[in-house]
Amino acid sequence: MAIKIMIVDDSPFSRTLIAETLTDGGYEVVGEADSLETALETYTKVKPDIVTMDIAMPDADGFEISRALLRQDSKAKIILSSSMKDEETELEAKRIGICGYVQKPVEADTLFAIIHKVLSPDTLFQELLARGLDTFKEALSQNITRMAKTTVTFLENTEIEDPYLSKGITAVLGVIGQYSGTMVLDVSFPVAEKIAETILHRPAKSPEEVLAMVSELANIIGGIACSMLNKKEKALGLRVSPPSLFHGNSAELVSPSVKIQKALAETAYGEIFLGIGFKKGSTLWM
Amino acid sequence: MDVTLINPFLAAFTEILPQIGFQQVEKNKVSLVGSTFSYNGILLNIAMVGSIKGVVLIGMSSDEAKRFASKMMMGMPVNEFDKIAQSAISEMGNMVCANACTQFSKLEINGLDISPPTLMMGQGQATLPVPQAIVIDFNCDDIAIKVYVGLS
Repeated sequence: MAIKIMIVDDSPFSRTLIAETLTDGGYEVVGEADSLETALETYTKVKPDIVTMDIAMPDADGFEISRALLRQDSKAKIILSSSMKDEETELEAKRIGICGYVQKPVEADTLFAIIHKVLSPDTLFQELLARGLDTFKEALSQNITRMAKTTVTFLENTEIEDPYLSKGITAVLGVIGQYSGTMVLDVSFPVAEKIAETILHRPAKSPEEVLAMVSELANIIGGIACSMLNKKEKALGLRVSPPSLFHGNSAELVSPSVKIQKALAETAYGEIFLGIGFKKGSTLWM
Repeated sequence: MDVTLINPFLAAFTEILPQIGFQQVEKNKVSLVGSTFSYNGILLNIAMVGSIKGVVLIGMSSDEAKRFASKMMMGMPVNEFDKIAQSAISEMGNMVCANACTQFSKLEINGLDISPPTLMMGQGQATLPVPQAIVIDFNCDDIAIKVYVGLS
């Protein structure tokens, strides 16, 4: 069955050109739209596999229409076409969740290649998912053992509730790169206090000192895990943001847009919760 | 207070919220808080990394979060802050912060990317990785929203 494509472009000339190119390439053009309203309506009606989207349009631009389409269907696969080609436009496309980006005038082979890639399984992402949690567990294990002088074992097959109820201190770290993600480290205050005491060789002077230790520990674990992943696969280019801390908590934690893989580490001081999730979707640029 | 860090969020809220069902978006006040502050309700955490980095938190009371999600869902009643409501709020945070990155690029602050949102629901304290954060109080169709900008 031919791949179904919908074209969004305000110029009838551009639409005809892209439609002819696609039809010649064996694709089926199932719908065309020239505005936000017609795009949403047509999309619902024709359910395309791919949407090609112009950026510059008189009312809502291609980014706005893409945002609206992705709100309607988070799995929509959109390829932007634009005469502009700069880093910021590409980044904006990525932040919105657009799958691909081609420069105008669109060459047939380039367009076909990007459609093929967008519809192919993302092996880099699948590898990251397969390896991600283990790598973060390894980084946690190594660093807790080294800094807090305790062995770490991970509890297997534990059911971890969702939403996760914080034990007291939660560090949330953002991961940016080819794929973006989140790392969560959660620990009770007494456990954190004991770890801090071992690291500092004295009891912590204040709750703030304990919090600072959790923040630093999360930062180190996240940073080391990302460099381990980058070393294996350079294209990932993962970087971490400094962590936010939530404490004195009676709070639940959820990650509505990415699935968090969870692990529970057991140490001599008590349990440490580790959660890691990555967001699907990177922008292919040709 | 660094105004450069405020304007992109004002612009982003003003641009995005009307696209998701809000009529009026007003900035009430802008103030500063230390790195630690209390919260009660929901707090959405989105990290930002690039030529500047840090975190943006969007906070609301639980009731206001339900009303906000209901607005985004074209008035559908939201009695529980369930998965759909949680997803709606985090989608809003994602759209606003992604748009703020674009606004930053207009000020030549380039190369910013954001992490997926994490949502805290309950009460406690938050500590941001910066000495001070800017708080922007918004009123969006009578729903009070606090945006904590902890970037440097």
